[in-house]
Amino acid sequence: MTTLETGTVVGAGLDRVDAPLKVTGSAQYPNDFSLTGMVHAALVGSTIAAGRIRSIDVTRAWAAPGVLAVVTHLNAPKLERGPMTLLGGSPPAPLQDDRILHYGQHIGIVVAESAEQARHAARLVRVEYEPAEALLDVNDPRAEIVENPWGLDTERGDVTAGFARADVVVDEAYTTPDNTNNPLGLMATVASWHGDSLTVHDSTQWPHNVRTSLAGIFKVPESGVRVLAPFVGGGFGAGLRVWSHVILTVLAAREVGRPVKLVLTRPEMFTSVGHRPNSVQQIKIGATRDGDLVAIEHHGISSVAMEDDDYEPVSYCSALGYACPNVLTRDRQARLNIPCPGSMRAPAEGQGNFALESALDEVAHAIGMDPLEIRLRNYAEEHPILGLPWSSKALRECFTEGAERFGWSRRTPEPGSMRDGRWLVGYGLAGVSYPFYQVPCQARASVRHDGSAYVRSAATDIGTGTYTVMTQLAAELLGVDVARVRFDLGDSDMPYAPQAGGSGLTGALGNAVHAACRRLVREFLDVVRDDTESPLHGAALDDVTVTDGRIHRIGDPAQGETYTEILTRHGLEELSADGRSTPPQSEELGMALSGAFGAKFVEVRLDPELGLLRVARVVSAIDGGRILNEKTATSQIIGGTVGGISQAMFEETATDQVTGRIANATFGDYLMPVNADVPDMEVLFVGGPDRATAVGTKGVGEVGLVGLAAAIGNAVFHATGRRIRSLPITIDRLML
Amino acid sequence: MRPFDYVRATDTEQAVAVVSADPHASFLAGGTTQLDLMKDGVLGPERLIDITRLPLAGITHTDTTVRVGALTTMEELAADPVVRERLPFVREALLLGASTQLRNMATIGGNLLQRARCRYFRDPTVAACNKRNPGSGCAAITGIQRMHAILGTSDHCIALHASDVAVPLVALDAVVHVRGANGTRSIPLTQFYLPPGDTPHIENVLQHGELITALEIPLLPETARSHYLKVRDRVSYEFALTSAGVALVIEDGHIQEVRVALGGVGTVPWRAWDAEDVLRGARAGADSFRAAAEAALEGARPLPGTAFKVELAKRTLVRTLETVAGAAS
Repeated sequence: MTTLETGTVVGAGLDRVDAPLKVTGSAQYPNDFSLTGMVHAALVGSTIAAGRIRSIDVTRAWAAPGVLAVVTHLNAPKLERGPMTLLGGSPPAPLQDDRILHYGQHIGIVVAESAEQARHAARLVRVEYEPAEALLDVNDPRAEIVENPWGLDTERGDVTAGFARADVVVDEAYTTPDNTNNPLGLMATVASWHGDSLTVHDSTQWPHNVRTSLAGIFKVPESGVRVLAPFVGGGFGAGLRVWSHVILTVLAAREVGRPVKLVLTRPEMFTSVGHRPNSVQQIKIGATRDGDLVAIEHHGISSVAMEDDDYEPVSYCSALGYACPNVLTRDRQARLNIPCPGSMRAPAEGQGNFALESALDEVAHAIGMDPLEIRLRNYAEEHPILGLPWSSKALRECFTEGAERFGWSRRTPEPGSMRDGRWLVGYGLAGVSYPFYQVPCQARASVRHDGSAYVRSAATDIGTGTYTVMTQLAAELLGVDVARVRFDLGDSDMPYAPQAGGSGLTGALGNAVHAACRRLVREFLDVVRDDTESPLHGAALDDVTVTDGRIHRIGDPAQGETYTEILTRHGLEELSADGRSTPPQSEELGMALSGAFGAKFVEVRLDPELGLLRVARVVSAIDGGRILNEKTATSQIIGGTVGGISQAMFEETATDQVTGRIANATFGDYLMPVNADVPDMEVLFVGGPDRATAVGTKGVGEVGLVGLAAAIGNAVFHATGRRIRSLPITIDRLML
Repeated sequence: MRPFDYVRATDTEQAVAVVSADPHASFLAGGTTQLDLMKDGVLGPERLIDITRLPLAGITHTDTTVRVGALTTMEELAADPVVRERLPFVREALLLGASTQLRNMATIGGNLLQRARCRYFRDPTVAACNKRNPGSGCAAITGIQRMHAILGTSDHCIALHASDVAVPLVALDAVVHVRGANGTRSIPLTQFYLPPGDTPHIENVLQHGELITALEIPLLPETARSHYLKVRDRVSYEFALTSAGVALVIEDGHIQEVRVALGGVGTVPWRAWDAEDVLRGARAGADSFRAAAEAALEGARPLPGTAFKVELAKRTLVRTLETVAGAAS
């Protein structure tokens, strides 16, 4: 494996290459597309959570101005369910029968000349139901339980024996609520058929998945389906699946024979595109008086939809986090009449880490040990499940350098011992060991006769900086100035890329771009192999390096020539090469593949009478492997930190336990932080390139969020002596 | 959204005549709530009479009052130097409401008439809402209750009146000037709002077509101190969980004059008469403040989801009294 050498372009804080388009409003998001003859759709949602549709009266809807089609289960065509994907099964196909499985389920779509007409007509659809009792509570004993849904339950050692050795045992229930992803961009689909060919603009994080799914559902060749998502207004996981509204828009377009646009409303975003499911977690940690962890047992139960799946192994973090000889983790899901959950930034980790890192704080307090010390004392030098050395791990540096930057040593241990006037002051911290994730990816690189480079892959940039970091990477690998490199994405006609998810895209795509660029340089060498006019003739890839648009022999810059010279002399317009990456394998490498690590340090201020909680500052120390762009990586961590504060203190999707309706499905009612809630946030990166892959990144999309909830809860405990074990930590829970 | 006619009014009397004669017509001012409700299908007026060009904006002063034209925006009122000087808790309440963008659009007349934030009221897919659909029931009572009222509720409605500025205004005995088809009248704000009772769809004493033309706010005595405290989950841009507007005149440690009103807890902006009675003449201090808070919340009817608000409202009031007394002493 040739690893990326440290260069001048990669790592630099290059401004986003797409920034001018975005700040001038000329970046086209899916809902910006207007096609000739395009019409608009609106959805009809169920107003019960369980039961059947007795009748649907669409007479008034049909008669409303501008209406072109009304499709319900009574006149919808039979649709196949989408295929199995990397993330599990596809969501059920809509409108296939009269059953209602959750409130807000799409039971019809109305198409009209204007969006306003469609929405008005959708409200005129009259539905009568035969309601059944809905199961809505994750603790409902009637709910069907799925045991060990992903085969990720773990067991090592003997927890019973471990707890018997413990001097201190903490055994507590932690709960986390439903959260809703809520990217700012309302998810939109524009679908247009030409015969059996289909073009779809969609707010997706994974264009190839949309293509494959729609081809399967509508029984047309994949080659005729094109999915475009050059810009997406955020995702946080909401765009990972081919949800019902996408299928319905495509169906509507076929029905009316014209392009159709559907933009979800904000309330529909709460029921249509997934959410972080609530969890109840029982965590038990045993430790010796000296602070050695001797046993951990972590049981999690999450909610899931009646007939759909979601990947949410909340207890797994307890198997991965620390060196503890006896660990048992168990996950279950309860099937409920709810919209299907789906990955939301740091799925599972976001919930599980809250329990693990809070309970660990409880253990530290119980034995009178500094919360930082107990984490360092139980540091996992090897991967605790595989028993292999890590491919890279700088969590210790995260803890120590983060503590230094934060001023952790100023913390006085006794709860309630730090004050600032009326405000109680608390310091808290949490550690994060984010799991490794990477899946195969492809890219193609070309250099034109003018020496400019074009690199592309069907990935997405959901605000993460993919355009920018891949431009930097290609510029470095081809020796071409960043201004002469174009990196393109968001088109299913480009080489295959996996989802922007699991903190895995930068690694997968970066290594594919690496492979493509290296192969492209080799292509140039192949062209001049027997070209005696070329100073490079006969050179092998390892003999050369690239800079300033030239390939030259290592150690002798004079022995080389430009891409343009080679192409011109050989009468070529361009050369291209494909590259692909496959995930490294622990067993082959003899080392455990590492995700990102992090340590989060938080100071809170708390007015105990009024229950007012303010986060005063946050320091996040992150080991993200190689950082391709310090500026965009820092933005990722800052955004994740805000998400973590939001999870800790604000977000709670409130489901009415009588009806199953989400009662706060607007931005006025579903709270997340405003600027005034967001404090100074410091980010420092520690560690270096990961040795398992050529590029050495580890993905920083999710590690920024994880740990904030526990660190804030731990800081609240330090400020007040009160342990809040249910999120979000709100005024009603804090009034002392 | 349902189709509707739009008319820009040029004459106040004519605008009032048009709306009075048409049960399906509504006035449109800043529109910051009304257009939301129309888009969401809660309101469906067939005709909107835009009054924003009528000569109803602007602030005038006398020695004892501030007279505020109904079309004055929240930001304009907050910027008024007399309000800043003599009615600081009105200014505070204004600036703690909504966002700058909204306050630049929202008028003071519209603010007083803002509709409930209740998510059961604001979602027409919910069948049971007595405010939207009289006689249909109240889904909020058995639903998610945290943002609802605990004072002035009935078995038919628990929706909160969410205005911040109305809290100091009811404390001040502000007066609403109204023009209707049959002439003008003046209504004390304390008598303007109606508790839900068994007619939650009737929220105030205005007849259809009556238009608020101005608001008259009495000034506090020169020696008064006032403060508005708003308690909410996030620091800005959220309705109150609880709030309190307090004005005091304290001499020699005793409370000579007192105005107390509460927000975030009442189905109407809640004048706390009982708390005022406790405080008037009392020694300013922890005991009288707590006693006043107890009196203010005595009639509270919390539900499980709003139980915390009773104590939170008391503490909010005590803290506000402490703040004002601290500044006054």
